[in-house]
Amino acid sequence: MRTALATDASFAERVCLPDLMAAQNPDGGWGFLRGQDSAIEPTCWAVLAVCGLGTEHPLSRKKLNGAHFLRQQQLSDGSWPLVAGEETGTWVTALACLALQAIEGATPELDAARNWLCGSWPGEGGIWWRIRHRLFGQPQLIAQDHRLRGWSWTPGTSSWVEPTAYALLALRPARGSPSFLLSVDDRCNLAQEMLCNRMCAGGGWNCGNPAVYGTAGTPLIGPTCWALLALGEFRQRADVSRCLSDGLAWLERACSEAQGPGSLALAHLCLKAFGRSASPIDSRLSEIYDHNRFLGQVPALAWASLASQPVPRWLQPASFESN
Amino acid sequence: MSYAAPSIMPSFQRPRSHVAIRSASSYDVDLGKILSETLADFRLDVKGKSVLLKANFVGADPNHVMNTHPGVVAAARDSFLCLGASTVMVAEGPALERDTEAILEAIQLREYLGPLDGAFVDLNVDDVWPVALRTRASSLKRLYLPATVLRADFVVSMPKLKTHHWAGVTLSLKNMFGIVPGHCYGWPKNILHWAGISKSILDLNSTVRPDFAIVDGIVGMEGNGPTQGQPKASGVLVMGDDPVAVDATCARVMGLVPDRIDYLRRAALLLGNIAEDKIEHIGESVARVMQPFAAVPEFEHLKAKSS
Repeated sequence: MRTALATDASFAERVCLPDLMAAQNPDGGWGFLRGQDSAIEPTCWAVLAVCGLGTEHPLSRKKLNGAHFLRQQQLSDGSWPLVAGEETGTWVTALACLALQAIEGATPELDAARNWLCGSWPGEGGIWWRIRHRLFGQPQLIAQDHRLRGWSWTPGTSSWVEPTAYALLALRPARGSPSFLLSVDDRCNLAQEMLCNRMCAGGGWNCGNPAVYGTAGTPLIGPTCWALLALGEFRQRADVSRCLSDGLAWLERACSEAQGPGSLALAHLCLKAFGRSASPIDSRLSEIYDHNRFLGQVPALAWASLASQPVPRWLQPASFESN
Repeated sequence: MSYAAPSIMPSFQRPRSHVAIRSASSYDVDLGKILSETLADFRLDVKGKSVLLKANFVGADPNHVMNTHPGVVAAARDSFLCLGASTVMVAEGPALERDTEAILEAIQLREYLGPLDGAFVDLNVDDVWPVALRTRASSLKRLYLPATVLRADFVVSMPKLKTHHWAGVTLSLKNMFGIVPGHCYGWPKNILHWAGISKSILDLNSTVRPDFAIVDGIVGMEGNGPTQGQPKASGVLVMGDDPVAVDATCARVMGLVPDRIDYLRRAALLLGNIAEDKIEHIGESVARVMQPFAAVPEFEHLKAKSS
């Protein structure tokens, strides 16, 4: 078995990166699984994983092909679609911003993408929606403040934790910039409040429903990591500080019991980003890989690779002092 | 790529449906025997066909209350292979958790099926095809759907017997929400909620109608389902080749009135039978196994008076 070949290299170097590189398509992109057509999301994760290797790494040039694929898929309004050929931008725009920013730095194309993000509002929370919700909704079902809006998965639907976190991370370099159509800071501040409002009792986040019918929701590792990483930028605010403290405490407990590769890798990455002691995960990742080969999924391979590297700048809370 | 959707048959043309109710006191009984005997009764034409078992794996619950029990899934897989299916894949696209493998490991699916790489398909990241929906009850009109589902010759919906805080119940038709790919529509697949849950259930099932349904009601969930309710030991497996009739029967087993459930009332118009006189029961009677389920306040009106 490949993982039994003991070397000094990390599990990510021995297994994840070679698997990841073998899954790259001739067009430069990646599918979710090896052999699938290229798609935006897995390409972004793969590019971000390769970016962390440094320019001298033999696999580093793979990111340029990935960036080429991403640039080709960008729509004229600056956004990226879910599937090649679609003409509507969606949440993957934030991931594409992160990936291209990591390779190329600021470009006019990225400004267009961030402008699109700023103008992409979820379906809930507007005045008419709130009136209708007040009259016909079921306020006892979910207790959250609908005035606080972030980003949705698909255009015109509700705000959820993960797309909101991705958008906040993607907009970080634009904070304070006067060149955007809408105020980036206002939009990000509202989304920050939304994330804090959606935290589960006791810390951590699920997809975005902290309680239903008065029953507290169970946090999940993935959304918790992305919410924490996005909120790191605002850590000096009192409400955020409490969320970070509770969320990190929950994540430290959950990390030791993580059973999936994505959850384990993201938890490790997030704890490292906040300077928390994160025990090595090589042997645990290797064990999970031996069970099911990560189900062949490119994002899991990319996250495991990212977790083995120094925390990239785009995830470092201390790198951003804009507030 | 093309996909041939199933035919839609108005109720007056529809023959009677057959639904089997089998008692199973726990997951330790011989589930393989129960399932293989029942499937044989239906004389299913699956020889040489690819079968897809769409389970309901919604969260990392090691107590097997919110998810289809892996023992039932494994027994179904073995039974369809015995009937001559060329391949049997287990598939799911969890609605709330992106790390599908974390759910599968928590519920110990690997212990029942063996290594999952090759035995299980994560529908959230499958290849997708654009599909025009057969009905226009909702505003969706078309969806990207997983190629694995569209290519399968025979689709089996395998839900858990549960109440649901948005839809009233979640059974074999609602379970098909899990085929909608997360990588296109997110976690949760919120576009289906915005388009109307009942209407989306109809549109989705009119387009990809399950060929068979096996409902795990050995231990179901009542109250604030699909993830936060209480376990309800009902001790039944409900099966049939008309998923609408299966869901209607399950509703009766739960002490609910099928035609008060919005999605079932809609489905009865085009997709299958819910009237008692159009459903022939095999095995146990509804009256013998019926155990009233608790419902959230919004769905108290679904309850039959006697329950």
